[in-house]
Amino acid sequence: MSSRRSRGGVSEEEINELISRLQTLLPSARRRGGSQASTTKLLKETCSYIKSLHREVDDLSDRLSDLMATMDHNSPGAEIIRSLLR
Amino acid sequence: MISLGGGDGGGGSSSSSSSSASRKSSSRAKATQTKWRTGTQQKIYGRRLLDALRATGGAPQPRAVKAAADSALALTARGQTRWSRAILLSTCRRRVLVKAGGKIRRRHHRRPAKAAALEPAALKERKVKERLRVLGRLVPGCRKLPAPALLEETADYVAALEMQVKTMRALADALAAAQLSSASPPETERS
Repeated sequence: MSSRRSRGGVSEEEINELISRLQTLLPSARRRGGSQASTTKLLKETCSYIKSLHREVDDLSDRLSDLMATMDHNSPGAEIIRSLLR
Repeated sequence: MISLGGGDGGGGSSSSSSSSASRKSSSRAKATQTKWRTGTQQKIYGRRLLDALRATGGAPQPRAVKAAADSALALTARGQTRWSRAILLSTCRRRVLVKAGGKIRRRHHRRPAKAAALEPAALKERKVKERLRVLGRLVPGCRKLPAPALLEETADYVAALEMQVKTMRALADALAAAQLSSASPPETERS
C-alpha cells in the first residue's frame, strides 16, 4: 500500500494489488479460501465472467421483450402496478 | 426522489494508509463493492429501467430492451466511470457508428504468435498483457486504458452488471407473475 512509485510503467505489485481486489468480486472468491490464483487465471476468469453476464443480459432482454409484447394487450396496467410496488 | 443514503456514506473510513493516493483507491474499491449492492441502487436502477422500457413504446425488440437496460445502467452510474460514459455516448451516436466507422476501422488484427519463448517471467507478462487486452475489449470504452485504471473500471463494471442481471430478472419474474394472475384464460385452467 505504501509504494506507489511511478516507474514510467506499471509496477507489478500495483497490478497484483488491483487484481486481488478484483478477485473478491468474482464468484470464485466465495468458493476458495486461499488467494492462490495466478494473475492470468484471474484475468481469464474475469473475462469469461463478464461474457456470461452479457449473455444473461441478452437472455433477459429476450424474455422481457416477449413479456412486454404479450403484456400490452392483456393488462396494460401491470407495469404501472409494478412500478408502484417497487 | 430517493436520496442515496445507503452506499455513499461509508466510503472513506480507512485511516491506516499514509499516502492519499492509496487511501483514495482503497476507499474507492470499498465503495465500489458496496455501492452496487445496496437496495437503494437497485431501486433507482429499477425505476430508470422501467422508464426506459416504457419509452420504447410498448413492443420493443430484444435489442432495444438491452439498449434501454444498458443506458439505464449507465445513468445510474452517474457518469462517474469511463464505461458508463462510453455507453451514454454510444447511445447518442449509435447509428452513425454502426454504419460508418465501427466495423470498417477496427479490423480484427491478430498479432503474430509468440516467436521464441523468452524467460518464463517475460512470457507470463506477455500473457497477462494479452488478457488485459481482451478485458479492455469487453468493458465499454476501455480499450486503450492502462492496466490499473482498466482493473478499476472492470471491478465497477462487474458489480454493475451483477445488479443489472438481478434487477432484470426480478422484473421479468414480476411481469410473468402478473400475466399469469391477471386473466389469461387458455393458460390457467387449473385452479
